[in-house]
Amino acid sequence: MLNNNSFYIKQVFNRELKRIISRPIYLVGSFGVMIFCFVFFMTFFKDGQPEKMPVAVVDMDNSSFSRQFISNLQTCQHVDVVQHLQSFSEARDQMQRGNNYAFVFIKRNLYNNTVTNSRPEITFYVNNAYMVAGSLAAKDISYLCLMTSGGVQRQVLRAKGLNESQIMGIVQPVMIDTHLIGNPWANYGMYLLNVLLPAMLQLMVLMLTTFSIGVELKERTSKAWLETAGNSIFAGLMGKLLPYTLIFTLLGVVGNLLLYRFMNFTLLSGIGWMFLATFLLVVAAQGLGILFVGVLPVLRDAVTVAGVFGTLSITAAGATFPVEQLPYFLRALTSAFPLRHYFLIYVNQALNGTAISFSVTKYIILFAFTLLPLFVYKRLKNAAIYMNNPAK
Amino acid sequence: MLFTTKCKIIMDVKKNSYTFKSLLSGIWQNFIHELKTTFTDRGVVILLIVGPFIYPLLYGVMYLNETLVDVPVGIVDNSQSMLSHQIARNLDATEALKVYSNYSSMSEARQAFNNREIHGIVFIPRDLNRKISMNEQAVVSVYSDISSFMYYRSIYQSTTYSLLSLSKNIQIQRLNSKGITGESALMVADPLRYQNISLYNAGVGFASFLLPAIMILILFQTMFFGITMLAGTSREENRFHVLVSPDINREGILRVITGKAFLYFLIYFMWIFYALGIIPLIFNLPHIGNMIDIVIFMTPFLLASIFFAMSVSVFIPNRETSMVLFMFFSIILIFLSGITWPQSNINGFWKIFAWLFPSTQGVQGYIKINTMGANLHQVRFEYVSLWVQTALYFITTFWTYRWQIKKSFATNPELSETADLQTTE
Repeated sequence: MLNNNSFYIKQVFNRELKRIISRPIYLVGSFGVMIFCFVFFMTFFKDGQPEKMPVAVVDMDNSSFSRQFISNLQTCQHVDVVQHLQSFSEARDQMQRGNNYAFVFIKRNLYNNTVTNSRPEITFYVNNAYMVAGSLAAKDISYLCLMTSGGVQRQVLRAKGLNESQIMGIVQPVMIDTHLIGNPWANYGMYLLNVLLPAMLQLMVLMLTTFSIGVELKERTSKAWLETAGNSIFAGLMGKLLPYTLIFTLLGVVGNLLLYRFMNFTLLSGIGWMFLATFLLVVAAQGLGILFVGVLPVLRDAVTVAGVFGTLSITAAGATFPVEQLPYFLRALTSAFPLRHYFLIYVNQALNGTAISFSVTKYIILFAFTLLPLFVYKRLKNAAIYMNNPAK
Repeated sequence: MLFTTKCKIIMDVKKNSYTFKSLLSGIWQNFIHELKTTFTDRGVVILLIVGPFIYPLLYGVMYLNETLVDVPVGIVDNSQSMLSHQIARNLDATEALKVYSNYSSMSEARQAFNNREIHGIVFIPRDLNRKISMNEQAVVSVYSDISSFMYYRSIYQSTTYSLLSLSKNIQIQRLNSKGITGESALMVADPLRYQNISLYNAGVGFASFLLPAIMILILFQTMFFGITMLAGTSREENRFHVLVSPDINREGILRVITGKAFLYFLIYFMWIFYALGIIPLIFNLPHIGNMIDIVIFMTPFLLASIFFAMSVSVFIPNRETSMVLFMFFSIILIFLSGITWPQSNINGFWKIFAWLFPSTQGVQGYIKINTMGANLHQVRFEYVSLWVQTALYFITTFWTYRWQIKKSFATNPELSETADLQTTE
């Protein structure tokens, strides 16, 4: 029986290899798309954080003090003072045009009011329509304001006759020392690529799984496919999907190597654990793909569902917006996405370096997705034999 | 060679019959033809009608919660003093954080962190009280989860804010002890104040930031998949496996293109009001823009997107091809649009590449008008770009359609005979 099966699997495998080179969609959809994604994301996020973003200043004071403030601003990591403007409305107009992400408004007599202890105020305006740019610019500017304020404080205290050690204690009695676990550089590329590359991998696996099966139903070749498989849907699916398992695991492993070896992103576990997670993500997505095409044995329906599911995965993974903060009824649904479990494995293993015991259940759940085809086993076989579903 | 001359003849004949009336009736016939094809194809209806209706609702619901509330953090309090308890209470009082539990050691807290029970750890050292009373500088360490940057943002901002205000109180006490009291202590503690005003997306909400861009991309992508699916289908179904069935092109390329484009435009003009007008009201997303400006701006966006999709559709051999191969591109387009990673920091090749897609200009212009209240004049670059793209992609559409029609003549010489006959009628 088993020998028989392996004979048929091999036969279907060879048939599928011929199909793969018969039309461009298979190779473009695997190698083409993934290589494009590798190149795109690696080059797009190569700076790690967006640096030197355009900001403006409106300096109504124009004192040596305010000019010093502006030249200090220029040295901040995320901002680049590109505009020196004359009024608030001009600065806002430039912001609406997208020419600055923030602007600092310095009122007349800032310096005089500082030396006369009238506690003047520096106001800065941030455009949070671009949240990343806005937050980073705001962080830099508020830090600089604090530093400047501290500098003034020192001068005042010195004038009052306090010595340096007394001054230090007063300027900042409690210091905060922030540590970002696993990504101390707050590297945006590291944060996003670790979820986007597997997301793309999962999406393309779903697409090609539903397509490669669905197209047989559509073009009425599914009967021939099953005959090659000795009328065993198991052998048929195994032989058909094995080439893609190999291709996508290879591409996934290349992705892992790019992330952890080439880009040197944080990897606190053995890389083997990420290879395993990648492999399981591939087979889990294949299991789901079979489920989709089994439930909807019409090619275009199956690929539509696969596409929607694949893109929603990024939200469901919880990297961009935390899952616990989603509306209650959606939280449980995120477990239906293999990428969610992959993401948790990545966080546990690569990012936080926890013991493997934290991730074991996630590996098992990923593997469990491969059992999903059992639900549609019969239905898919009937669809393949009778070919009575609409082709269009 | 034969076929080109033949085509020329056909075109010349057509030129003579190019009265305005016949042009309109030709466009109308193609419009009706496309209308029938579109609404009898369930796959296309899903993409052009169901998709643009459901998708905005789906995303709206997913991001109902704009900001993080009560992110659980743990406290390791080695000081166990009035001051350290004050710190914990202050953190708990912030909107973004809640103190989930107190842990006796870092390793215990780390365990809870690894279990994802808490997303941040605040470590208060034993010497906190001593240092504060000795007028020295005390250090409080904050460890933050960065698996999502949203955690980091919330934890960083809330701890900074709450510890800074605590710091201020201590400063004033210390100044008092140095004999600097009252108003003058306040002055020294805070000689230069600052105020951070968020002009647009004032609540710094995640949905308010992302969803306007998602709306534009939903329009762009569903339209792209719909048009390319129609193209793939017509290629599968007509006898000659070309993009434009010779049966319908009798009326001339311009009429075919215009007739089709007119239908797509009408459908998506309706979706503009829904996705960009009604959805922001339902989900309370930013909508400070002038709706008339939005409609004026979106007109070239739709046209450019339509002709873009029609041009690309020449490479689409089957109904499902574009969905399989270009779904992933939705994600790429979000990044290219410059909404997350700022446009100012997209340089070189990707900047030019991004310009080519109407979605980039569409997202930027829509956000500027809708979220930032810009007027048309302020989005001139995007607006002009979209018209340039409309012209550009109209020309490429024209070329590709003409190429396809020629191809159908070339592969089927007898076809040109009949076409010839019919046009000269």
